[in-house]
Amino acid sequence: MASAETLVWALVLLPVAAGLIALLPLGGAGRKALFVPVALVMAGASVYLTAGVAAGGPIAIGLPHSWDTVLTVLDFALLAYFIYAGLAARHSLVTGLAAAGALGLAYLKFARLSGYTPAEPVFYIDMLSAVMCLVISIVGSLIVLYALDYMPRHEEHLGLEKSRQPQFFLFLAGFLGVMNGLAFADNLLWLYFFWELTTLCCFQLIRHDLTGEAKDNALRALWMNLLGAVALLAGTGLAFQQTGSVSVQKLIDIGGAGSGILLALALLCFTGFTKAAQVPFQSWLLGAMVAPTPVSALLHSSTMVKAGVYLVLRLAPAYCGTTLSDMIGLFGGFVFMVTSILAVSQPVSKRVLAYSTIANLGLIVCCAGINTDLAIAAGIALIVFHAVSKGALFMAVGMVEQHIGSRNIEDMEGLRFRTPVVGAAMVVGMLSMLFLPFGVAFSKWAAIEAAGLEEGCFLVITAFLAVGSAATLLFWAKWTGRLLTAGAGPRERREDAPGLAYLAVTGLVAGAVVLSVFIAPLMKRLVIPAQVGMGYANPFDLTAWNLVTANGSFTPWALFIACAVAVLLPALWVKDPEADGTAPGYLCGVNVDGGDEKFWSAGGAAVPVATGGSYWASAFGEEKLTPVFNWAALAGLAAVFLGVIL
Amino acid sequence: MTLTTVLTALGALVLAPLAGGLLYGIDRKVTARLQGRMGPPVVQPFYDFFKLAAKKRMMTSRGSGVWAWAYLLLTMTAFALFFLGQDLLVVVLVLAFAGGALAYGAFAVRSPYAHLGAHRELLQMAAYEPILLLTVVMFAMETGSFTVCGVLAAAGPLLPALPLTFLAVLIALGIKMRKSPFDIAACEHAHQEIVRGVYTEYSGRYLALIELAHWYELVLVLAVVALFWAQPLWVGALIAAGVFLLELFVDNLAARLRWSWMVTAGWGLGIGFIMINMVLLRWLA
Amino acid sequence: MGLVATSRVKSPWILHYCTGGCNGCDIEILACLTPLYDVERFGILNIGNPKHADLLVVTGPVNWKNADVLKNLYEQMPAPKMVMAVGACACGGGVFHNCYNTLGGVDKVIPVDVYVRGCAARPEAVIDGVVAALDKLAGLGRGEG
Repeated sequence: MASAETLVWALVLLPVAAGLIALLPLGGAGRKALFVPVALVMAGASVYLTAGVAAGGPIAIGLPHSWDTVLTVLDFALLAYFIYAGLAARHSLVTGLAAAGALGLAYLKFARLSGYTPAEPVFYIDMLSAVMCLVISIVGSLIVLYALDYMPRHEEHLGLEKSRQPQFFLFLAGFLGVMNGLAFADNLLWLYFFWELTTLCCFQLIRHDLTGEAKDNALRALWMNLLGAVALLAGTGLAFQQTGSVSVQKLIDIGGAGSGILLALALLCFTGFTKAAQVPFQSWLLGAMVAPTPVSALLHSSTMVKAGVYLVLRLAPAYCGTTLSDMIGLFGGFVFMVTSILAVSQPVSKRVLAYSTIANLGLIVCCAGINTDLAIAAGIALIVFHAVSKGALFMAVGMVEQHIGSRNIEDMEGLRFRTPVVGAAMVVGMLSMLFLPFGVAFSKWAAIEAAGLEEGCFLVITAFLAVGSAATLLFWAKWTGRLLTAGAGPRERREDAPGLAYLAVTGLVAGAVVLSVFIAPLMKRLVIPAQVGMGYANPFDLTAWNLVTANGSFTPWALFIACAVAVLLPALWVKDPEADGTAPGYLCGVNVDGGDEKFWSAGGAAVPVATGGSYWASAFGEEKLTPVFNWAALAGLAAVFLGVIL
Repeated sequence: MTLTTVLTALGALVLAPLAGGLLYGIDRKVTARLQGRMGPPVVQPFYDFFKLAAKKRMMTSRGSGVWAWAYLLLTMTAFALFFLGQDLLVVVLVLAFAGGALAYGAFAVRSPYAHLGAHRELLQMAAYEPILLLTVVMFAMETGSFTVCGVLAAAGPLLPALPLTFLAVLIALGIKMRKSPFDIAACEHAHQEIVRGVYTEYSGRYLALIELAHWYELVLVLAVVALFWAQPLWVGALIAAGVFLLELFVDNLAARLRWSWMVTAGWGLGIGFIMINMVLLRWLA
Repeated sequence: MGLVATSRVKSPWILHYCTGGCNGCDIEILACLTPLYDVERFGILNIGNPKHADLLVVTGPVNWKNADVLKNLYEQMPAPKMVMAVGACACGGGVFHNCYNTLGGVDKVIPVDVYVRGCAARPEAVIDGVVAALDKLAGLGRGEG
């Protein structure tokens, strides 16, 4: 399939090339003229590629051996840059880990792999890669479009003399290509290359604003990701020693026989955990919030962090049925629970979103660890649903921040009425993260049902999932409630209408709803083929668009009708009260002039009414819980490696 | 899904308000007797309902009316799903959406008391939600099915195998029935702090809707309790009735506790009981 | 009587507000809730929230300071609603009659449906007053209290 090969290259190289062109002084209009077509081509190409893979099976693409030399040179150049970055910032951890990476890579390339010519292709695109590619290319492209509107306003706000947008868009768009490469790569050395490239993009994007905090947080992200990369190299070496190949597919085919391979798998999963910011590595993702919003959206929803869980999920068939798998399930469930609990005490919207992201990634890791047909389906579906909903929420929060000048949830009271479009998008986005007829909750349902019937430590996993779900309810619902408060202030004035930003946010929110309604076809066309390609069976009976498993059932369309009737119909038929039917809020009868904006205090002063959110920091506070959770997670990681021996 | 199931569900939807209203009437009667009073007639909740429904419409914010309807209709959805024999986990999760709608209705008004109540309501939900989810998982472990149909078709009663889970459900039931010691979100005895919490800003017909939703909710939760002894079902019904009376006694014996106690009871005691039950079950098997 | 009228008579929820009397009447009203009188027999609840209440029970003479509060509370009650003035002060100022700081009775601020005499009003009288209010509510026209 020559055309498939072209598509693959287009998906990897086009965004990088567009990013390079964006280095030219194009101006805002020029960048729009460049990136809008690129985004459309990316989205189209990913759909076309998926259709091709669905129809014709996995695509394997080899490269001439000469490319390996290019790869080696680029790898060392990258590591040299990291060492330089570490030295320049006097950050010994970065320098050390980058140097360790360089030494490890040199040892691997020149001692272990010298003279080795991989028999397997460099790229192997099955349905799982295709799903990942769809998420990256569609959600990611929308985020780039959003950035086109966001960045000029952001720089205006910062008052920069010289625009730094060209290099911002290089890394932002380049990120998409690199991620696609990562999703396609089968050769572990190429995977490593793309992995380090995402680290580079991430590092550059986080430090984009060049404040002291941004630089510090970028370095933290760098060292944590470099640590993962070292583990990736070690895993690659071990995998080569055990299987005589650096192919991921070969590794999966041979699977978890023997502790050598299991150790390699555990190392690769560890790499995934660092990238997916699982506890105790959550601090880099939380720190990444200092970057401009499109970066947070991109890092969180569609790319970067998803790379980590993608790798863990990709390797799931290899460790299926081992203790390692159980331990990964426990670890993921634990991360889901503790980050959901930590999110409860956060008043800063982006931190809530960050914790929720880590929680959902933990849930995906947990699904991979539960490792049954149903769990894997839940994990793959969650990658899609989470990307769509969370991408929308991040971008909406970015727009709100530019409207009201704050990212604090306390300042977001009544946004549903103050900024009607973005406010409504946020409310729907949050409902789609939380409640059942929507896809994210569907994944939670499937994960609990999958874990519920298993033996052993799965009892603990279900408890983790149950408590995590409760905490999730707490932090989403109280934030949503805050947005829904009527009469909290006048409608915000809007200077200009950033069309692309609105398009991206409303498009993704609509996508979240539509995908949830059509979850059965989505399962049938994408998720089930993806997991069948991985060697799992179809857990669902999809007749009449129901999702019936052996032990339970979920009827999305019927539930959607019921919920639409329950929420939308009253919204249409409950009329505004007549003039004599309105009553001010209850303020113990001391309302000033019969209104509910002020009340008479005991001293006779007119005091404005204030409402506030509860964060229960005494029980759920970060300072108190984070150290405990970090140590517990470290113990969990140790258990993962212990799982190799058992 | 057979015609019989559909008819059962329809019948249940029609009869549940009657049963729920009467149960709340019994609640008030029993409570009064425990306090040495006569108490209102058993049909008192129906008088209250019709009176409220016929009051002149008055609202503080349109949103609260919308969410009151949503609360009722979502509760009815969960209720119908249960009696259609559907997935119990789905029932619990839809019920969570309903609870969310109640809180959103309170959030929709800019009233400090309603907001305080809404936060507490969410805490209550967070406290009992894991217990309900894990109870469903325990049902599934015993019967191999997550659906109500499957649990009903199981060979024997579940209570002998799941005594500690049953205890945990009692905690959840107490919170769900809004009874002491866990009635922190809207209790009239907490007037000094929260007036009527979540319900502060509702009046007339919207309060009636919420009342109706409570009736559905009560019957639904008691039906879940009855599943502990579904063969024969009348034993389950007796157990549910007994549990209901027990909650009334506890309500009159206990004082209201702080929210942290409630969360500790739900997450600590409740989940702890269920986990021990799980381990014992595996160990004995 | 129809279903709604019956229900209204059977379920009067009370909001009790003291506008600055000596608390004698308040204590007698609370006595109504005790097992001896047990007004919940008649479906009467002391609900403490104007938005839920049907019957506003006011004690005290009403002073300049809390007249607005009384008015606010009254306006926050959804119709149909009744007001009952309990005790001499609430009916016409009582011993505070013509004091510079009082208005002299609830009906100076909001319309009153039922007046209950006494200083303090006895619980029996309070219950009688509620019954009179309910009769009026049911449109039977008996007893003006």
